[in-house]
Amino acid sequence: MAIVNLKGVTYKYPLTETPALSNINLKINEGEFVAVIGPNGAGKSTLCYTLAGFVPHFFKGDLQGSVEVAGVETKTSTLSDWVLNVGLAFQNPFNQISGAKYTVYEEIAFGLENLGIPRGEMKERVDQALTLTGIRDLADRSPYSLSGGQQQRVALTSILVMQPKVLVLDEPTSQMDPIGTREVFGVIRSLAERGMTVIMAEHKVEWVAQFADRVIALYEGKLMMDGRPGDVLTSERLVGKGYGISRYTSAAREASRRGLWPRNRELPVTLDEAVMGFGGFPLPRGEGQGVRGKGRK
Amino acid sequence: MKLVDSIKKDFNTVTWVLIPVAIAINVVMGEIVVLLKLPIYLDSIGTVLVAAVCGPWAGALTGALSNTIWGLLIDPNALPWWPVALFIGFVAGWCAKFGLFKNWWKVVITGFLVALTAAIASTPIAVYIYGGITASGSSFITAYLLQTGQGLIPAVFSTNFLVEPVDKISTSLLAFAIIQGLSTRFLARFPRPENVEIEQGATRNQLFYAIGIVVVLVLIAAFILTRILTQ
Amino acid sequence: MRERLSFYVKRESFLHNLNPLTKLVLALGLTLIGFLSPWYWTPLAIIFFIIAPLSFVGKVQRDFLNAAFRLILPATGFLFIMQALFQPVGKTELFSIWFLHVTRESLAYAFENATRIFAMVSSFTIFLLTTHPSELMSDLTHRGLPSQFAYVIISTIQIIPQMQAKAQTIIAAQRSRGLDTESSLFKRAGALVPLVSPLVFGSLVEVEERAIAIEARGFTSRHTKTSLREIPDSSFDKALRWILLLLVVAIIAVKIWLS
Repeated sequence: MAIVNLKGVTYKYPLTETPALSNINLKINEGEFVAVIGPNGAGKSTLCYTLAGFVPHFFKGDLQGSVEVAGVETKTSTLSDWVLNVGLAFQNPFNQISGAKYTVYEEIAFGLENLGIPRGEMKERVDQALTLTGIRDLADRSPYSLSGGQQQRVALTSILVMQPKVLVLDEPTSQMDPIGTREVFGVIRSLAERGMTVIMAEHKVEWVAQFADRVIALYEGKLMMDGRPGDVLTSERLVGKGYGISRYTSAAREASRRGLWPRNRELPVTLDEAVMGFGGFPLPRGEGQGVRGKGRK
Repeated sequence: MKLVDSIKKDFNTVTWVLIPVAIAINVVMGEIVVLLKLPIYLDSIGTVLVAAVCGPWAGALTGALSNTIWGLLIDPNALPWWPVALFIGFVAGWCAKFGLFKNWWKVVITGFLVALTAAIASTPIAVYIYGGITASGSSFITAYLLQTGQGLIPAVFSTNFLVEPVDKISTSLLAFAIIQGLSTRFLARFPRPENVEIEQGATRNQLFYAIGIVVVLVLIAAFILTRILTQ
Repeated sequence: MRERLSFYVKRESFLHNLNPLTKLVLALGLTLIGFLSPWYWTPLAIIFFIIAPLSFVGKVQRDFLNAAFRLILPATGFLFIMQALFQPVGKTELFSIWFLHVTRESLAYAFENATRIFAMVSSFTIFLLTTHPSELMSDLTHRGLPSQFAYVIISTIQIIPQMQAKAQTIIAAQRSRGLDTESSLFKRAGALVPLVSPLVFGSLVEVEERAIAIEARGFTSRHTKTSLREIPDSSFDKALRWILLLLVVAIIAVKIWLS
């Protein structure tokens, strides 16, 4: 069932001595939504680039171990074939606009043109993708005339339309204002609900807690924790190392030291969980909040 | 096949993304220089930059496209000069390939060779399309030389030869300064990072070399000019 | 400063519906005929009897006149004056200033040259006014031009105005910090670095990410590329391109025969 399989992955960028990733072993199942957290320089982006094939094909450098997606190894494939396995969207929305197109509609079709998809199918897929991400009303606008949040949704749509097996998102909202952040996470939520395999590097843990089935914590290129969001995001081990920690978690941790948080209750990550906890309410259906568990096996 | 491979080597995805940026740098530089009223063009910095880090073919393409797009969309007078821009990129690329883009004084030589190329390449265009008198201010010199009884081609070439070196040497030096400001990690993305590996050496010595080279070049230039004009 | 660096005016017209290559061949053909024709009146005839009527056919007459008077006329007018003053040809002196002699011949030469350039620029202006850059590039890619060229050209057209806007912002910021574009040459040259470096380095650091972005969209894919736009190419288009080619050949023949 594992669609992504990393075995003993160690990677050094060219001209560097310290590995950006060291001995990463990771299996991700089809339909899982995995969030990757870590302080700056922990290797989040490198992991994303590795999954998307840019390590080693674009960045060169020294990659050891194996990276497999859907049974194919990156090293034996080419970057241009890899885009059908893994789609990548990253932080800066402006830099993800191809520049080769005048309208959002054409921009989204750009990848399909490159893949040689026939015109009829191309239009169908672009239309579907526009509906999926809810940006149909932007179709005739120039990509450069859009806000950051809109541009990032266009970038996501441009990748989704190519129908990759796995979607990799590298801090897609790190350069967004609150409105843009909400817009982009709205799209990501709908992807999670549809059961897409998503790996997302993200430091906004309150959002992560709403989507992720599983959270991976990286530290100095090593895999430090891997587990349920509730366990990883509230772990003591993240404290003081530069991880993004939810203010609700910190508040509840302090509160539990003073005996103000219900004993044996998991620390909260989101506002809802904090309210329920401080109010002493039982959690609905035991655990799940947000979209977790919905639309999945 | 060797030629095809040499051309192919210049073009990776980063090259294709760099070329539009380089052309925009050419245009905006050209405009800023006009705004500051500097007696120089500097409108091929982007072209030389591409030539140095991507190679002669990419440089030639950048130059040709730069003038074509500039000519069609901004200033029609730029259009006929696209072959000159093409040769500027091409020659700058070859200079870099032969190691003439690795320290300050070598870059001065590159600038001089590029200037010589530009002077030669612009002469037939100025002569056959404009009859020697173009829409540029330097045509005043040509006109003066013509009135003193010079032939058309020597007059045009001498004018170009007087104008080009200062511009192209400054252009090459600025392009070199830009490259020095970029990280090795970043430069490694381009097809020919080995062209711009900076040679270690005392900066002060290099400065003396650079000054020496300029003096020699000026003497050569003066010699060539007097030969042309006293024919 | 224009937001987009493109002359294109969206209209529904016969000229807009012609195949982009046909219009490109038309512009090139008229330019060549203007330059190669042995008769001095040819460029004028092209301007008044072909290009001007075409601007009406393409419903862009106002935009064309605007471009002609604000862009082409000043450029060619300047060239005319330069050549009339500086060309040393001819003996029939009309008047002279300092060492410059304006003769009947230099005037005629300047006139012919300026009208040729005018004809060239105006035929390309008509072409640009009625042809969307994307359409042209789609059509040329379809005919075998490597798709990377389409990327470079469209991308350049979109980046230049962005860079110009950034330059404006930087210049305004530097001015408020006391940059003086009227001071001495040395000071102005010194002002170049603070103006230019943020612009140049800012745009260069983006190059890597933008390359990653288009790679992620299959830019280097070895599949035969397809196109979202379908660009019609009628038999009329093909005929027109052949006629233009024949005309150019004919004018070359006439020029050789007359000389």
